[in-house]
Amino acid sequence: MDIFDFIGTKLADFLTYTGFANAEWGNWIMILVGAFFLWLAIKKDFEPLLLVPIGLGIILGNIPFKAVGLEVGLYEDNSVLNIFYQGVKTGWYPPLVFLGIGAMTDFSALIANPKLLLVGAAAQFGIFGAYIIALALGFEPNQAAGIAIIGGADGPTAIFLSSKLSPNLMGAIAVCAYSYMALVPVIQPPLMRLLTTKKERVIHMKPARQVSQTEKIIFPIVGLLMTTFIVPSGLPLLGMLFFGNLLKESTKTTRLAKTAGSALNDIVVMLLGLTVGCSTQASEFLTVDTIKIFFLGALAFIIATASGVLFVKFFNLFLPKHKKINPLIGNAGVSAVPMAARISQNLGLEYDSKNYLLMHAMGPNVAGVIGSAVAAGVLLGFLS
Amino acid sequence: MLHKRFLGFLASLAFVVGAFGQGAHSFKINEVVVLNTDGLIDEYGERTAWIEIANTSWGTNNIRSCYLTTNRAALNEELSVPERVRLMSMIPKGDARTNLSARQHIVFFADGKTNLGTLHTNFTLKPGESNFIALFDGNGKTLLDSITVPPLAENQSYARVYDADTDAYTWLVLDEDEVTPGGDNVGQGKVEDKVAEFKAKDPYGIAMTIIAMGVVFVALIALYVFFRLFGYVVAMVSKITRAKAIRTVRDQAERATIMAKQGLETKGVDMKVYMAVIAMALKDYEEDVHDVESNVLTYHTEEHTEWNAKGYTMREWPE
Repeated sequence: MDIFDFIGTKLADFLTYTGFANAEWGNWIMILVGAFFLWLAIKKDFEPLLLVPIGLGIILGNIPFKAVGLEVGLYEDNSVLNIFYQGVKTGWYPPLVFLGIGAMTDFSALIANPKLLLVGAAAQFGIFGAYIIALALGFEPNQAAGIAIIGGADGPTAIFLSSKLSPNLMGAIAVCAYSYMALVPVIQPPLMRLLTTKKERVIHMKPARQVSQTEKIIFPIVGLLMTTFIVPSGLPLLGMLFFGNLLKESTKTTRLAKTAGSALNDIVVMLLGLTVGCSTQASEFLTVDTIKIFFLGALAFIIATASGVLFVKFFNLFLPKHKKINPLIGNAGVSAVPMAARISQNLGLEYDSKNYLLMHAMGPNVAGVIGSAVAAGVLLGFLS
Repeated sequence: MLHKRFLGFLASLAFVVGAFGQGAHSFKINEVVVLNTDGLIDEYGERTAWIEIANTSWGTNNIRSCYLTTNRAALNEELSVPERVRLMSMIPKGDARTNLSARQHIVFFADGKTNLGTLHTNFTLKPGESNFIALFDGNGKTLLDSITVPPLAENQSYARVYDADTDAYTWLVLDEDEVTPGGDNVGQGKVEDKVAEFKAKDPYGIAMTIIAMGVVFVALIALYVFFRLFGYVVAMVSKITRAKAIRTVRDQAERATIMAKQGLETKGVDMKVYMAVIAMALKDYEEDVHDVESNVLTYHTEEHTEWNAKGYTMREWPE
């Protein structure tokens, strides 16, 4: 009989360890949120490379367990997930992602038409518009800055800054940033239509001049020097971005550029997405602050898109007729490479089947990456 | 020669001694915890008072043979060096951990148990009281740094913190969650001040927006200006290169045309004539009439030879 008692006791004990015994309603909600992300990614093809790891991470992070030192949870020291999470917590995943972005990005469009840099700068108003509103909603300046960076539409930058300034909100900020980046095709087109006239939408831009290899090599070096001398606090992001680009453009390190842009980047994105998803544990995520963050994130995207488009319209006032810029590329200043540029292209073709805007839109698009990294550096410099 | 070598040796010695002295002077007491009940543990799992020393330079320096003490009497310059050293705890040699790379820190446990290893001192700190701590150079005389730690609560630290406002280091009492053994104290205790300052002076975020957007625009305008100018330079260089290439091609084409004209039109020379000229030159060569030139056959048309002399070419009129 003792053996049955023993089995019974152990089974009862075991049941107390299961997820079912430890689940709270919040866990179930978050698992549903994770499943929704997976559905968006797999069924609707919304940024699957980001949303699949994040979606599964949300589910993984919300599997309930009994906290008895099993060292399995994300926040438990020495657990495998905790080790992966260090890259997010200490902020070294985002610079590695930037290395990959640099190795994959062709800055030719920007070098050929450098005035598009200004469009990328203007779109950063989204960050600071959201910052002002976040302060008005009662967030502390460091929290407001962490939330506002969502307007940069750049996941790694958002994670990097929030891990430094507002680590307790990082999970919500990262999920919000990536969600809205995936929703760029939904958020931006109505705004772009609203803010432009039919005549403006069919502006044909002159094809960009051919850029020499020397210019392509000099760009990352000069870009690095100029931006980091002005904002040294942006060094981790800008340094890696331009380093990756130099690997690509030097023509002597093609193998390194390929690794940085493919294998390394994929590994980091997987770990980053998964651990960011995991960090959204119900107790941390299901709060009023998260709702506010999602609201502010949407506003940040809207302001950023609008300011990019409006800036182009304003800029056009000073440009000769044959050099006018199609305001449909203004939205691309929010970064979200290359989704935002693709939207410019699609919308341009919708109004004129011969108006190909993709390469023109890539200019403000990559300028937005630089601009948001600079903005993050400024916020970090002031508030950390 | 010997004199020069001796001077060189002296100069090297001065440099080495100077460098060593400079290295030791970069050690600073950085953080101290007197009553440690919930923080850093030593190699034996014990929690004791600790003193953190920072290498503030950008070079590697070894702290071996330096001295730590809590005894103010060690400051008395009237005492001999051996007497002063007896009041101190020497940092032993032969441990790689004492070699600190740039901006690195080392923590010594003030537990009075030097038998536990390099990182343990022969003195302890007194909880609830002020504690004087001094760091001496290896000569036992030069005071590198000293600090009087005020009475601290449990797990609090007294830390050397960078103050961005004054661009200097100040000593602050840090709470348990701000203590950073082995790490930099930059920003500790000051983060809140920065945030509070922004909250108080810029509650609506207008100043931040103006400054930050200004910086973003300045950075990107700088890039714009550079690449605009650089674009012009590249365009000009490529224009010049293209013009040069066109000129070269044109010159070559002109030269070819002239050659063709000169060869075939101006002198009315045709292939048969050329062959005849070559044949005459060969004949000259074989008869040793030709100039001695290597690989060149020249036929001088102006010379009167039996081939072109009128006298030879005319037949006598038959009488």
